[in-house]
Amino acid sequence: MFIQNLGGFVEQRQISLQGDGILDIAIEENVISLSEVVVSSEKMTNISRPEMGVQKLNIQAMKRIPAILGEVDVIRSILTLPGVQTVGEASVGFNVRGGAADQNLILFNHATIYNPSHLFGLFSAFNPDMVESVDLYKAGIPTKYGGRLSSVLDVNAKYGDSEKIRVKGGIGLLTGRLTVEGPIGENTTFIVGGRSTYSDWLLNVLEENTDLNNARASFYDFNFNVSHKINPKNIIRLNSYLSSDNFRFDKDTLFQYQNQNFNLSWVHYFNERLELETVVGRDHYNFGIEGRDNPASSFDLGFDIKQYFLKANFTYALNERHKLNFGASTISYRLQPGFITPLGEESIVVSEEVNHERAMETAFYLGDDFEINDRLSVNYGGRYVVYQYLGPNTERIYEQGQPISSSTLIGERSFGSGETINVYHGPEFRVSGRYILNNVSSVKAGYNTNRQFIHLLTNNAAIAPTDVWKLSDPNIRPQWGDQISIGYYRNLKIDAYEFSLETYHRNMRNLIDFRSGSTLLLNNTIEQDILRTDGRAYGVEVLLRKNIGKLNGWVSYTYSRSLLRTAEEETAEKINDGNWYPNNFDQPHNAVLVGNYEWSKRLSTSINANYSTGRPITLPIAKFNYGGSERVFFSDRNEFRIPDYFRLDFSVNIEGNHKIRKLAHSSWSIGVYNLLGRRNPYSVYFTPVNGILQGYQLSIFAQPIPFITYNFRI
Amino acid sequence: MGKRLLYIFTLFLLPFMAIIGCRDPFEPDVTTTDLNYLVVEGFIEIDAQESILKLSRSIPLRAETRLREESGASITLISENNESWEFVEKEPGTYRLTGTFDPNLTYKINILLSNNQEYESDPMIPKISPPIQNVGFTRNEDGVSIHVSTQGNEDAVYFLWDYEETWLFRPPFPSPFIFNPTTNGIDLRKPEQQIALCWLDNKVNRVLLENAGRFANYSIQKDMVFIPNLSEKLMTRYSFSLRQRALDKDAFDFWEIMRKNTEDIGGIFSPLPSLIRGNINPVNSTNKVAIGYVSMGKSRSERLYINVQEVRPWPVFIPDYLECQLELDTIPPTSSYIEFSGPNFIPVVQVVNSMGAVLGYRGAEARCADCTLRGSNVRPEFWED
Repeated sequence: MFIQNLGGFVEQRQISLQGDGILDIAIEENVISLSEVVVSSEKMTNISRPEMGVQKLNIQAMKRIPAILGEVDVIRSILTLPGVQTVGEASVGFNVRGGAADQNLILFNHATIYNPSHLFGLFSAFNPDMVESVDLYKAGIPTKYGGRLSSVLDVNAKYGDSEKIRVKGGIGLLTGRLTVEGPIGENTTFIVGGRSTYSDWLLNVLEENTDLNNARASFYDFNFNVSHKINPKNIIRLNSYLSSDNFRFDKDTLFQYQNQNFNLSWVHYFNERLELETVVGRDHYNFGIEGRDNPASSFDLGFDIKQYFLKANFTYALNERHKLNFGASTISYRLQPGFITPLGEESIVVSEEVNHERAMETAFYLGDDFEINDRLSVNYGGRYVVYQYLGPNTERIYEQGQPISSSTLIGERSFGSGETINVYHGPEFRVSGRYILNNVSSVKAGYNTNRQFIHLLTNNAAIAPTDVWKLSDPNIRPQWGDQISIGYYRNLKIDAYEFSLETYHRNMRNLIDFRSGSTLLLNNTIEQDILRTDGRAYGVEVLLRKNIGKLNGWVSYTYSRSLLRTAEEETAEKINDGNWYPNNFDQPHNAVLVGNYEWSKRLSTSINANYSTGRPITLPIAKFNYGGSERVFFSDRNEFRIPDYFRLDFSVNIEGNHKIRKLAHSSWSIGVYNLLGRRNPYSVYFTPVNGILQGYQLSIFAQPIPFITYNFRI
Repeated sequence: MGKRLLYIFTLFLLPFMAIIGCRDPFEPDVTTTDLNYLVVEGFIEIDAQESILKLSRSIPLRAETRLREESGASITLISENNESWEFVEKEPGTYRLTGTFDPNLTYKINILLSNNQEYESDPMIPKISPPIQNVGFTRNEDGVSIHVSTQGNEDAVYFLWDYEETWLFRPPFPSPFIFNPTTNGIDLRKPEQQIALCWLDNKVNRVLLENAGRFANYSIQKDMVFIPNLSEKLMTRYSFSLRQRALDKDAFDFWEIMRKNTEDIGGIFSPLPSLIRGNINPVNSTNKVAIGYVSMGKSRSERLYINVQEVRPWPVFIPDYLECQLELDTIPPTSSYIEFSGPNFIPVVQVVNSMGAVLGYRGAEARCADCTLRGSNVRPEFWED
């Protein structure tokens, strides 16, 4: 007689049966090891997904990129992808396919993040322990997203472990972080995380010539997310995020900014095919400067953006061939574009406030993922956007056909609260298709258009924290852009290697540039300082990626151009005589290598090499004496370039031992940023010293910067 | 665990590295094309003070030349009633005119260069600056800061200041003696030969601008210059002469661009440079552009003196006088010719024996004793003791 139990040994007995009786048999447990089963959602998607220009990075991949100061960083990670660039090392934001930094929609679990960085861009605003993965859409932006011209960066945060309470943390040279996650009862999970600088020191980072004895910088951020399953058909989720930065370069001027985001989402499954997600939320970003230079002129200056949003997004699997995505979203904007108030009793600064702005952006959309046959698939759809600029406010009317200026102002009209001042509306198209050539390769093409109603007014190469946002109004039209792209995708060696080649061309209209000497802050008639500008960008992106094996990583190369031209109808001033000129972040050649080698389960090393053409710069070409000093006369806009950029980073990750019965699992990340210590210039410029001009180049991380971080999880 | 934590923290403290933002001298490879633009600088005083206009040419950035004056031009001031006044070129590139002009008229200037190129200004409306309320100073732990207060009004909202600093200084080894080449002896210096007390001046300026509209009642309080501790400027007596002009909005914008383009540039959050032009335009549009903004009006001036007694203690460190010392050897009168006849060694101290007889002189390097090597021993006209 054989007695068998699943997962146990087979017991064998010879029984001579002579009557009723009981026989107890113990069956020992038998552990049979299977080979590993990997469920992958990404393998082959390179070839088969119909959208193009989409990059997905999960947190494991981000962890393998050496990060400055040892912290896994979402934005620095996406900067290693083709088509994503930055103007400089300590700059906030990033540029996608020749688009400005304000043309990226940055979402953190539905919340729009207006300032995605801490410490002038040294850290991104996202706590790595909170992040599950990021999706970057450079083209093929799904119809449910809109409102920005260049890209969508969707950062997906976690909702907590469903099995047990876990604690994770890390401590680096500047920051410490701690995350707790886990289940509460059967149907609820939560995650709460915080991160903060623990030393109030930093800041030789910035200019050497300022007196940095009094420089200080600090930040913190905090996340709290909860997911609750009411029943199998209904899930509600809470997302909340708070971040705060404070810094000063001297003891008299204190800068600070905050992001505050909060939203609630409800997912409802009507049946197996129809699903609805409804999200309601509030996003808030504000910035402030306290100036205490002199008691009489001390001031408080700041601006503030609030937006309230409501989204309803349906996904409907119509049949095997069609998968529909449709819905509506509305955003209500409340901007305080700038104010100044006296600070302290002695201050004689006059309070001033730019008119508050209000607007409503509503969109309806429908997209269809249509699998025509096994080889051909298209994803097509559209959005219709209605934008209303609302009162209370004053509309300024200028003479038609004349440059907008104080002398062509012919009238003003006042509007009461909630009254519509003007409306912009129009369709946006999103089409992309894929044709599978064979098992390992495919071609894709896409076309999309976008509109943008909120603009960052910036007159710097990099985004400064002082840059204010502005809504489209009767005199400032929404930005419009389109993009056409074609790509070829191929997997090699049973999907061990992924190769892609994409090329694109973009047109942009109603971009914003500024007249000479314009003031952006506290300017009530900013339209008089704006130059309507056209843009165009084009490029080729090549990516070769190896996902598995001891040696993995990717190599990417991008050739791209981004050019601007003062619009033909703009007569106030023509930058470079109305010719095309390079954008501030036009860096034609860009190559990145990210490589990891796993020496053992506990030891791995990574390198990151980064090369790009120097960014364009306007340099002086003549000097003259004026006002008691030598002064300079500048070349055409962006006629020159700073020297090329090259940087190599190296890191070693050491995992603690893998004993199961251990209080904490720990790991170390040790490395060097800018291993070669190359002095990559951030800018070059001339300034008079004792009345005589001197040329300088400013490098930000001009020497190897070692870092070390200790991470643990319990 | 506890031991391990301690170990971790010591490890963190070790490499608390310096991230250094680094500024290196740099000579970018820029064009050497000579743009040779006309540069016009000046202010026309309406109230019987001398007006000075300076004409020069822009210079290629890397040229050694400091200044290229534009000589031989004729500059005319023309009122809206077509009255005209000629500027006179006193020294190359500097044109002067003194007159009284009606503040209620508009004016323009016309510039005819020696090569027959002609430029003309936009119409100028004279702006009268209100008087300077006060020029004062405050001593704090880092040094002395000089500030101005001024009361603007509806007609005078935008202000520009420039200043001239003059100060007295002494070399480390002031000498009353001079070598006399005719007698080969050592004489006492005559007053015009004194080298122990000199004046130095500084005309280098930052662009100092303010918009009074920012403040209640157009009332401005603004820091002008800062004298750091150890500066020789306050060694004995210091003069700060301030000129205040009221500008219109366009002129203010011009100066603001000038300031941003040279003084607020290259930093991480610095604005991008702007095109600079001004209010001088070529009459024939095929001519090259000119740079400069000429304003007209009535300026105000004020002078402040600061004595070292007012800021004491004020130790002074002058880098030029590093390693100065009085030579130990006494040079006997017979050797005066050998030691003191050259320009580099100066008798400083007379050595006498107990009977009062001169044994000789101890000397110091000229750079340590002769203040005229850095400044001037001629008292400036304005100077008050």
